[in-house]
Amino acid sequence: MDAYPNGNTGPKGHRGMTTAPAVRTGDLHLTLESEAGEVNILRGIDLTVAAGETVGIVGPSGSGKTSLLMVLGGLEQATGGDIEVAGQDLTTLDEDGLARFRRDNLGIVFQDFHLIPTMTAMENVAVALEFAGRDDAFDRAAEQLKAVGLGHRMGHYPGQLSGGEQQRVALARAFAGTPKVLLADEPTGNLDEHTSEQIIELLFGMHDRLGTTLLLVTHQRSLAERCGRMLTIRDGLVAGDQAPLRQAGD
Amino acid sequence: MARPINLAGRMAWRDLTGGPSGVLRGLGIFLACLVLGVTAIAAVGSLSRSFVAGLDRDGTKLLGGDVDLRLTHRQADAAQLAYLAEKSQARSDTVEMRTMARPLDPEARRSLAELKAVDDRYPLAGTLVTEPAMPLARILERRAGTWGAAVDDNLLVRLNVAIGDRVRIGEAEFDIRAVIKKEPDRVASVFSFGPRFMVSRDALPATGLVQPGSQIRYHHRLILPPGTSVPDFIEDLEREFPQAGWRIRAADEAAPGVRRFVDRLTLFMGFVGLTVLLVGGIGITNAVAGYLDERAATIATLKCLGAEGRLIFAIYLIQILILAAGGVVLGLIIGAALPWLGVTALGHLLPVAPEPGIYPQALITAGVFGILSAVTFALWPLARAREVRAGDLFRDRVAPARRRPRAAYLVLIALGVASLAALTIATATDRWFAYWFVGGSAVFLIVLRLAAWAVGWAARAIRNPPGARLRLVIANLGRPDTMVPSVVTSLGLGLAVLVAVALIDANMTRQVTERLPERAPAFFFLDIQPDQVADFDATVSRIDGTSNLQRVPSLRGRITHIDGTPVDQVDIPPDSQWAIRGDRALTYAAKRPDASEIVKGDWWPADYAGPPIISLDANLARGFGIGLGDTLTVNILGRPVTAEVRSLRQIDWRSLRFDFAIIFAPGTLEGAPHSHIAAIEAPVSAEDAIERTVADRFLNISAIRVREALEAAARIMEGVSWAVRGVASITIAAGALVLAGTIAAGHRRRVYDAVVFKVLGADRRRVLGGYVLEYGMLGLLTAVIGAAVGTAAAWGIVVHLMKSDWAFDAGAATMTALFCLAVTLIMGLFGTWRAMGQKAMPHLRNQ
Repeated sequence: MDAYPNGNTGPKGHRGMTTAPAVRTGDLHLTLESEAGEVNILRGIDLTVAAGETVGIVGPSGSGKTSLLMVLGGLEQATGGDIEVAGQDLTTLDEDGLARFRRDNLGIVFQDFHLIPTMTAMENVAVALEFAGRDDAFDRAAEQLKAVGLGHRMGHYPGQLSGGEQQRVALARAFAGTPKVLLADEPTGNLDEHTSEQIIELLFGMHDRLGTTLLLVTHQRSLAERCGRMLTIRDGLVAGDQAPLRQAGD
Repeated sequence: MARPINLAGRMAWRDLTGGPSGVLRGLGIFLACLVLGVTAIAAVGSLSRSFVAGLDRDGTKLLGGDVDLRLTHRQADAAQLAYLAEKSQARSDTVEMRTMARPLDPEARRSLAELKAVDDRYPLAGTLVTEPAMPLARILERRAGTWGAAVDDNLLVRLNVAIGDRVRIGEAEFDIRAVIKKEPDRVASVFSFGPRFMVSRDALPATGLVQPGSQIRYHHRLILPPGTSVPDFIEDLEREFPQAGWRIRAADEAAPGVRRFVDRLTLFMGFVGLTVLLVGGIGITNAVAGYLDERAATIATLKCLGAEGRLIFAIYLIQILILAAGGVVLGLIIGAALPWLGVTALGHLLPVAPEPGIYPQALITAGVFGILSAVTFALWPLARAREVRAGDLFRDRVAPARRRPRAAYLVLIALGVASLAALTIATATDRWFAYWFVGGSAVFLIVLRLAAWAVGWAARAIRNPPGARLRLVIANLGRPDTMVPSVVTSLGLGLAVLVAVALIDANMTRQVTERLPERAPAFFFLDIQPDQVADFDATVSRIDGTSNLQRVPSLRGRITHIDGTPVDQVDIPPDSQWAIRGDRALTYAAKRPDASEIVKGDWWPADYAGPPIISLDANLARGFGIGLGDTLTVNILGRPVTAEVRSLRQIDWRSLRFDFAIIFAPGTLEGAPHSHIAAIEAPVSAEDAIERTVADRFLNISAIRVREALEAAARIMEGVSWAVRGVASITIAAGALVLAGTIAAGHRRRVYDAVVFKVLGADRRRVLGGYVLEYGMLGLLTAVIGAAVGTAAAWGIVVHLMKSDWAFDAGAATMTALFCLAVTLIMGLFGTWRAMGQKAMPHLRNQ
């Protein structure tokens, strides 16, 4: 069994999995209040993702895929059902507990990068490690930036970086704490095709290196097809759960 | 614990100083509000302390010695003088009284003058400056049978005489030989109705003015031997002569009137400073909220990365503290420098030159106020910032948190407010006023906030107003992020204060310039001797136009005990302390005065003959904590007289009729040497004739022209009122800062609106017209609400606190309200002009 720094055992695909799952939900519901009344966003999601697995989540706009990611990241409180991520039952944690959980177990990559504009690339990467009290935060951040090819841009602020560079910094930040699970929401949505390709290579390259479980929300079917598994969400329910054709046919 | 604080500090500094956006972006208004408030409080405190230091420094000069003993009606006796000679190193005796100065020309105007007869040791401390400069003894000496005099400049003007001319005082003639440019102990004299007329003490008998019962004040000033303890000397003196009846003052009590004035000024200006801080506090809240709203995405990101709520709160609290410290230091520097510069440049023009300097206590007080208010007013947005939803990062835009802060933070805010109130009360020179200020501020804020809420509610309730422009304006006033609450509360508070000050001032001025002259007599006459009474009554009554002559006996005495307890051991509220400060005018009467009404007890029979009893002012009785059957002990001419309170009277002091706080029943005071005072009504045309007739026939009687005194008071009030309004208008400046901040915060929306209008085909004039209407309506609403609240406050203060008549001065209120409207329009349009110049495309793309 492969061993990675985050404790995951390796990307073995979802079938034939023997280790504890990285993500497990049962009858997961998310209902939000709006001016128009209650909106049922997730309507009973049952999902199990093995440690080290890569899952592409696709579906039409408003289907609930981003909401699923938010619930898995502890950023939205499920209104019903069970949810366990990296072995932790998220329903038992309060807001600060969830923050600590994210710090210790998750990496998140956004479509809009969401770097802190008043911090340099180095500081942006180091910040989560500092929250975790790691003394080597800046050394580790430097390593990560070099790993994404930004060793020469460490002292630059986000406003001084291109979109692709910003997303690389975001990747470095997401992987810096060797998370068990990485949640990525349309990581190439704001990038041109060439840059997108570079980012995707980096994302999967780092996943391969670290064995991180990867859940990737995307509109690009081609991107989802690179994952070991593709989940289709429609109307708040899992409408399809399959190995991508490209891989299935391999 | 140290690690999280270190971490928060590191993050705070990094976020504050990092990036290309600059440190102060979004917090300029925060700093401006804080600097203005701290500057005001520090400047007031420093100025006040520089005055007090000046008084302390010049105490001996102002008093005329280390110790001043003052007796009314009589001077110290031989035994007392011998004791003083033995215990002091030097002594100077002076005599002061009011008198009439008359030029030799029988047709010329007479003038009331403050006569001061000095011995050859005067002044013991300080220097008398005259023009021409020569020794005082040479000025005052007798030459060819005529004594000399040194006088104030304005006596020459009043009498139309010059140096070298001769003027009569009583029965004596004096050559005016010099003008007094500076009299070191003048500011210490409480009674200053007329210009100074200084003569030699040896010349006094020649005037014939020293008569039994005349209102003459004898001062014995002493310089004590080096090393003598002044308090010990005073204690020994009181023990040696317990019944002397003199008022003893040491150098640290010189010029108590000036000290009281400085105290009042400090109190008023201090409250203005606090109001500025309060108005600015609203700006602080808005600025911090705006700053944190801009950082909502950063906060959400930090939360996503694992920052706990407490860490988020700590990071931004530390940032606010760092900036607040900077603002406070800047405010303290300006607040310390302004009075220092002002005092250095202009101090010599004042009667007591203030001592320029750095006064740490004033600065520490201002600093604590600054930090405490910055934190208190920032707490609400800080507490809300930790509620930013991290999950919004997955959406297009992170919305600023709008949830109510958690209970723990609400408790913190309440503690901050309570601390500010406690500090206000603890540092005020008058607690009672401080309670009123704190309570009044709370009521002001609540009323303004309710009014703002009502405006928003009304705007939302209006359905389909005519015209797109009006519809948009009303929608903007009612929208959730409307400017109405912060502008109405902050600018409205500043305006309310200014309107209240203007209306109180207008009412007071009206009292002096219109109401009092309606009721006031034309003249008061002093020092009428008992043997002149019949002749005086007949003489003034014969003059054409005179009417309603009133005359009562008068002498002075000092209250020494209240119901057997020495006055210095009785806790007397500020509004009653005037009665124990010095000598009080006393009278005796068989009949009750018309002006007052008995509210408790009975008036005595006209033929009362028994132990001493008095009728007392009911307000004073309340202040002294005594009632019927209790006693007051009054030292009259060195003799303690203890009298029982037989009745309490409600006195209308505004009537300007003769009345006395203490009236004795017949049988106690008649035997004491005393004089009479009188008042008479007359038209202006008769005033010269009355003055001339009385001054020529009764050389010792002083005549005070009431209209002139009221005019002089009105002139002083006018000067003071402009100064007061000027100081109060700083609150409007603070309100304008908040308005600027609010407009800046709404800049993004305005730019977007302007861009959309332009895209839809509206020209610049039409868009600008819409904003004129919006800001005009906002300014008008704020002006009306602020003016209404200010008027209500002024009414309450004038009618209930000052117990005076009320008249609404529409001019004062309207001018102030128009000023507010203009400020809103100008600042609003300035902000809009910037928005109008924006290119459309980038904003449309970003939305």
